[in-house]
Amino acid sequence: MGRVAISLARRYYSGGGVALTADRYPWVTRAPHLSRIEDKHVAAFERLLGPSGVITEEEQLDGYNTDWLKMVRGQSKVVLRPKTVEEVSAVMRSCSEGKLAVCPQGGNTGLVGGSVPVFDEIVLSMSLMNNIIKVDPVGGNVWCEAGCVLEAVNTHLEKFGLMMPYDLGAKGSCQVGGNVSTCAGGLRLVRYGSLNANLLGVQAVLANGDILDCMSGHRKDNTGYHLRQLFLGAEGTLGIVTGAVISCPTLPTSVSLACLGLDDFSKVLTTLRTSKRILCETLSSCEVMDDTCMDAVANKLGLKPPLGSHKFYMLVETHASNPQHDGDKMDAFLQELLACGDVEDGTVASEPSKMNALWQIRERITEALSRDGYLYKYDLSLPHEKFYEIVHVMRNRLRGVKAAKTVSGFGHVGDGNLHLNVEADAFDQEILEMCEPFIFDWTQKNGGSISAEHGIGFKKAKFMGKYAATGKASLSTMRAIKTALDPNGILNPYKVLPPA
Amino acid sequence: MEDYKFLFKVVLVGNAGVGKTCLVRRFTQGLFPPGQGATIGVDFMIKTVEIGNEKIKLQIWDTAGQERFRSITQSYYRSAHALILVYDISCQPTFDCLTDWLREIEEYASSKVLRVLVGNKIDRDDREIPTHVGEDFAQRHNMYYLETSAKESDNVERLFMQIAAELMEQARSKELPRYDINSQNINRRTTTIGDSCCSRSS
Ligand SMILES: Cc1cc2nc3c(=O)[nH]c(=O)nc-3n(C[C@H](O)[C@H](O)[C@H](O)COP(=O)(O)OP(=O)(O)OC[C@H]3O[C@@H](n4cnc5c(N)ncnc54)[C@H](O)[C@@H]3O)c2cc1C
Ligand SMILES: Nc1nc2c(ncn2[C@@H]2O[C@H](COP(=O)(O)OP(=O)(O)OP(=O)(O)O)[C@@H](O)[C@H]2O)c(=O)[nH]1
Ligand SMILES: [Mg+2]
Repeated sequence: MGRVAISLARRYYSGGGVALTADRYPWVTRAPHLSRIEDKHVAAFERLLGPSGVITEEEQLDGYNTDWLKMVRGQSKVVLRPKTVEEVSAVMRSCSEGKLAVCPQGGNTGLVGGSVPVFDEIVLSMSLMNNIIKVDPVGGNVWCEAGCVLEAVNTHLEKFGLMMPYDLGAKGSCQVGGNVSTCAGGLRLVRYGSLNANLLGVQAVLANGDILDCMSGHRKDNTGYHLRQLFLGAEGTLGIVTGAVISCPTLPTSVSLACLGLDDFSKVLTTLRTSKRILCETLSSCEVMDDTCMDAVANKLGLKPPLGSHKFYMLVETHASNPQHDGDKMDAFLQELLACGDVEDGTVASEPSKMNALWQIRERITEALSRDGYLYKYDLSLPHEKFYEIVHVMRNRLRGVKAAKTVSGFGHVGDGNLHLNVEADAFDQEILEMCEPFIFDWTQKNGGSISAEHGIGFKKAKFMGKYAATGKASLSTMRAIKTALDPNGILNPYKVLPPA
Repeated sequence: MEDYKFLFKVVLVGNAGVGKTCLVRRFTQGLFPPGQGATIGVDFMIKTVEIGNEKIKLQIWDTAGQERFRSITQSYYRSAHALILVYDISCQPTFDCLTDWLREIEEYASSKVLRVLVGNKIDRDDREIPTHVGEDFAQRHNMYYLETSAKESDNVERLFMQIAAELMEQARSKELPRYDINSQNINRRTTTIGDSCCSRSS
């Protein structure tokens, strides 16, 4: 594979001019029962973690308070960096006793404002818990601490001929604990399935400091409730994930990647079907992006477009074990696309540098779109026939709005997951009101989900009541679980669940 | 549905730097790209041409000349209707390699494939391979021969149009099955690919 790491590090000078969440979203109010942090708390944390485990310097706090998209900014005064599960446990016991709120943070690449505090919650950074505990090459499992960066785990697994079952553009920064907590989907879900199947174990510290250890890592384990699943997509509201066991597929020995140019969305859908039919068990990714996305990566990041101009571009990847077989299937696939006229122009390679260059174009779209302005980002699951329609709908809707620069769509078309983007020069209240709740209403009306893979976080929490795909009873069950595990509401407050 | 009667796959091969990509871009886009980089993998595109009121779709496959970029290109030979083997008339080694290329073609391509030898870059004044040497080689190996300049647009159009015309003739005289619009409506799978190729490409 040998893909080049994309550094997602952003500059956070004095909050980068990002408005405080408390100012931009005045409807959210600080929970009165939560304590404010005092010097005595900081001193206690320093005793638990040592001085290097506690950050209180203003300049250093900015990065932890501001999210990747620069749409929310908290006001935390303290960042804690535990190194062991025992330290996390001690911190949580102390926070529980003092009724201090905690915001767990992984790589801070989340796109829904879940990974930074809303007010003064303590940031619990998992970055120093980054040991890969062990690999079982026979069973194909990896045990790792929550703060391991996805790409680092992948690099380690290569030595065993294994790979992580998911991959995303944020791989150089996002952490396994964050991936579990958001139930990250990514670029290969179409082949390897979701974390629902691939997460074999979790270790978590509960709100009261108890350590829950479900790290046996059996592929099959029906002894009672499937507790590990509770932490999938919990976004830090039910416990601190400190470790995980992930089931890892075999690293493919033959990889090919085709980039295709298409001029009509219906052709994207027939190409998806053709890819499933002909590439079949070798298909490992099927992604789409529109011309606006291609223009953004070309113009803002200087990446070279691989083909002539088209309305849509697809990336279709195969993972296989035999180059001859892989090549033959890919050839048959491309022949058919050219014969039926769905594809006008394309390129295919199995050379790592070329494949990497093609992937960069897809993976860096969000970076390009959010580069010099504000990005309104929506992550929708939609029936395939509705997949791209919302992009046209929003273009029409925002036609007269001067501050809105572009509306674009890309995403995991194989999974029916669209990333809808509205690019503006700066945050603009009018655009926000044109988008929300309109996009959520449209999505619901068309049988979609308002969060496919990014989660609810802070940004969508207030819409959960109305749009949670699963309805009212599910919301009350979620609340019951939350209350049972976190009676004082200290774990990532204001996130996921709407205010009661 | 699209209105064309014939669909042919044309594959360009030959050493790195002989001008395959420039020939294709000259033909498909009418330009000579400045600073054309090495091809990695295979690029493919569709160009529709018209010969005597018949629409013919050419699928053009531009392969990488550099060995290390060619890992999966062999699969792409198999279903080719025509192969264009290119060398650079100002570079002896690209001519010397032709026998290696022919060996590969024998191994992977259909025996019925139309083979065309092209000496490119005739605009250059440092020619190393005289025309008759190229011609002789082509004759000995049962290939058509043409000299071109992608830069000056010499013979490029002619190269592809002659291939299209020849393939159309072959197809008409039942060598290749006709592209049948009606069968495409029932089943999107095309049947243009020569029978021998079909049975070989899974
Ligand atoms: C360029 C780019 C591409 C992306 N592509 C994809 C994609 O294809 N698919 C996809 O699903 N997502 C994608 N994302 C979103 C994001 O990367 C994922 O949600 C990722 O899983 C977040 O991991 P993280 O470590 O950065 O978590 P963070 O952003 O730090 O946190 C995310 C949430 O999880 C909680 N959390 C983090 N760590 C823990 C822990 N140890 N215990 C408890 N709670 C925790 C946080 O409180 C927060 O609510 C992308 C983001 C970017 C910037
Ligand atoms: N003078 C002259 N130069 C040419 C001509 N055709 C191509 N070139 C030059 O030859 C070089 C290589 O051309 P390409 O088209 O990239 O060669 P290629 O055969 O595709 O090479 P690979 O992709 O590496 O296999 C470029 O610098 C071109 O500008 C021509 O007709 N005349
Ligand atoms: Mg080339």
